[in-house]
Amino acid sequence: MAEVLIESSRLTRRFGGLVAVDAIDFAVNAGTIHGLIGPNGAGKTTLLNLIAAFYSPSEGTLRFRGEDITRHGPARRARAGIRRTFQNLKLFAEMTALQNASLGLHASNAAGVFDAIAGTPRHRREERAIADAAYDSLAFVGLGPYSDVVAGTLAYGHRRLLEIARAIVARPALLLLDEPAAGLNATEAADLSGLIRRIQAQGTTVVLVEHHMDVVMSVCDTITVLNYGRKLAEGTPSAIQENPEVIEAYLGHGQKPPPQEAHAVS
Amino acid sequence: MSAAPALSPRWSGQSRVAAFVFIAALLLFPVFITDQFTLHMMSLVAINAMVALGLQLLFGFSGQLSIGQAAFYGIGAYTSGLLTTKLGVPFPAAFLASAVVASAASLLMVPITRLSGIYLAVSTIGFSILVHLVLKNEEWLTGGTFGLIGIPRVSLFGYTLRNPVYSYFLCVGSALAVYAALVRLERSRFGRAINAIRQNEDAARSNGVAVTFLKSQCFMIAAFVAGLAGSLYAHQVRYLAPDDFTFWKSIEFLFMVVIGGVGSLFGAVLGAAFVVLLPEWLREIGDYRMLVFGALIVIVMLFGEAGLAGFLRTISRRFGRAFGRHAAGMRPPAATPGPSPSKQDSNG
Amino acid sequence: MADQTYFWDLLVGGLAIGCVYSLIALGFAMIIRATGIIHFAQGEVMMLGSMSALSALWLLPRLPAVAVMLAGMIAAGVVSVAMEFFVYRTLRVRRIPIMNVITATVGMSILCINAARIIWGSEPLRYPDLFGTLAYAFAGVRVSPQLVWIMVMGLAVMGILQLFLKHTRTGLAMQAVAQDPDAAQLMGANLTKMMVYTFGIAGIMAGAAGVMLGSLFFSFFQMGFVTGLKGFIAATLGGLGSIGGAMLGGILFGLIETFSAVYLSSAYKDGIGMVLLIFILLFSPTGLVGLWKRHR
Repeated sequence: MAEVLIESSRLTRRFGGLVAVDAIDFAVNAGTIHGLIGPNGAGKTTLLNLIAAFYSPSEGTLRFRGEDITRHGPARRARAGIRRTFQNLKLFAEMTALQNASLGLHASNAAGVFDAIAGTPRHRREERAIADAAYDSLAFVGLGPYSDVVAGTLAYGHRRLLEIARAIVARPALLLLDEPAAGLNATEAADLSGLIRRIQAQGTTVVLVEHHMDVVMSVCDTITVLNYGRKLAEGTPSAIQENPEVIEAYLGHGQKPPPQEAHAVS
Repeated sequence: MSAAPALSPRWSGQSRVAAFVFIAALLLFPVFITDQFTLHMMSLVAINAMVALGLQLLFGFSGQLSIGQAAFYGIGAYTSGLLTTKLGVPFPAAFLASAVVASAASLLMVPITRLSGIYLAVSTIGFSILVHLVLKNEEWLTGGTFGLIGIPRVSLFGYTLRNPVYSYFLCVGSALAVYAALVRLERSRFGRAINAIRQNEDAARSNGVAVTFLKSQCFMIAAFVAGLAGSLYAHQVRYLAPDDFTFWKSIEFLFMVVIGGVGSLFGAVLGAAFVVLLPEWLREIGDYRMLVFGALIVIVMLFGEAGLAGFLRTISRRFGRAFGRHAAGMRPPAATPGPSPSKQDSNG
Repeated sequence: MADQTYFWDLLVGGLAIGCVYSLIALGFAMIIRATGIIHFAQGEVMMLGSMSALSALWLLPRLPAVAVMLAGMIAAGVVSVAMEFFVYRTLRVRRIPIMNVITATVGMSILCINAARIIWGSEPLRYPDLFGTLAYAFAGVRVSPQLVWIMVMGLAVMGILQLFLKHTRTGLAMQAVAQDPDAAQLMGANLTKMMVYTFGIAGIMAGAAGVMLGSLFFSFFQMGFVTGLKGFIAATLGGLGSIGGAMLGGILFGLIETFSAVYLSSAYKDGIGMVLLIFILLFSPTGLVGLWKRHR
């Protein structure tokens, strides 16, 4: 519980005059599921994008397993074991589910152009291993029967799962989930909670940005609440649910919370 | 369903038969057609097909639109021509050197791989025009507009290939080898990664794909193949002029890929045959030749969005055979190269 | 070399040829904005405008310069609209991938070049001096009236286009369609009509460029290819799809080409602009407009 996997120090991101993430100190313990919640525009997704290096910070530093990774690009962070999913699904639409999942293993293999053309033993060994691991990952999220289906033609819920399968196939140290429950129905959301726990059980630390409070409250070990780019509160789900400042942020200022949140918090 | 899933679809029996028939037809062609000019044209088809295959990898797979492949083709041709005429280097060495020099030149493309869509294309146009100007103006090296003359025939192991049948086999054999190599590449970790880059660069990055490196590799492979083709061309026609390698030639290579079907290797071969042979067949109608050629391109674009390969696939499906399945590739034609510029600008 | 008159000559010459590129680049920019198509036949539209204006002049030798220009503009506008109407619209309706449409525009380009060769022959055709031959003198510097008039008319045409786009209902609707076709259509803009206008105006600009280029040198069935390419590159230099960027890019390209031909190397005059373009793109991957936006 004590080991910190990823840690930010005064992490800041400005867009023009807007400060989306404002000097946030944030730490995720290894092996936990860490929720990031807050009203719309609170800076949750921006923070996630900063951790995944899709944005570069205006100020502040980011450390992963104690190493300063502030200047590392997204591919390098992915290779170091930080994987993510996207809010608006970024799949390889023309590829099969299996091929999509196999891409998650790209960085953990080495066969290159010459191996492929010459058909070296290394190439054949790796291809076999990649196919097996990718299939296992699909089966893990429940997409086993769809391995040959082209990603673009999968049902919406399945596409969400496929993105998760691709992100976890390499058994990353840290998985960043960006609103994985968006657009899912109640049953699918409940299944997702189970899946996130199973991912944790595999040894992957999870950071979860989510509006769906049922999911957040049921799976998270720790929750950080953001508001206007700043950290408002942090604690266990029950502590957060009773925190007056959090309730104020969601219900106060005449700001109308999204329906799911209202339902969960009230 | 106990069989382990495969990353690439297996070749069906019909595809294997089709590939066998195709190769056999190519090998037997000179037995039945002995006309020298026809053999020469077929050699040119093979040479052009090589460049088109490389461009298919670059554009069809990795999504990088290059309208500058004639530059690498030209660099390869002149390298081979100069090495054999001025330094007396034997053909096999010059052949390889052409590819190496062309792919070394493609390293200049590394910085521009970060440009998207049309901006990348324009930079490759710029490169193509520059190379043409160098070939034209550096007379001390290239002979300038007079061209490079007296390039020897191909000679292998002390035996000069005088008979056009042999150079036909050399060109067709090289094209087949390139084809086979690219098919293997397409069905590998590398092939999947470059396809992934085309379909969603962000997602590729977030999975640890070294995007710039792979994009540069694609440029190098395409240039390598174009260099080989250039060398074959130099010894096939035995006279090089800068105007063989203008921006227009780059457009022709792009034609081959798009007419054949973006994303299909076999399509690139069909496209090369179309672009090389059609103007020859149309020679009889004289002045109207290129007029009809232009019109035909528009018509092919109107009716076959998956190109000739897609057309073939439709026909074969209609006849209930699977001939085109491998031939036409496994995916629908690629859409826009890169993001639409109009959208980017309107945000400002 | 460094003599002053010569410098002013080059400056006016560069600006004049730059105006020609700008007019073509404008057509590229407008079509890219509205449809996403790189219209590679734009140079050929220009060539056909130039040829048609010359034919009008053969029929009516006393035609004043402005009327010749108008004839070229109208002819090129008609050609451009015809292309949109008979070819590109069909491609759009059939939802053909954009790359195939772009290839079709090159096909159209080949078709036009060879049609022109059949109609007007393959010899370069001399344009009469449309704008007189007596040199103008400005503060002791004498410059060719051709160049001055081309510059003036080019700028005038571009100015009128700006006014049209900014201050007329149709112009504003065209801008809206270019920015967001779906929304604009919901607001009642007729997409089909807007496409016709876009191609019409792009053609008219190219026609003006064609008459100018013809009167500077001569008319020739292949004149459109290289000039069209330079116009396209100028449009990219400016930032694809930006009207202001296209005008600036064209003029800049004309100046670079003219000056580098004299002061650097005439053999590489086409190449210097290219190298500069690539450097600008590396520095600012979306052209000059991107550069300007970044520093704002």
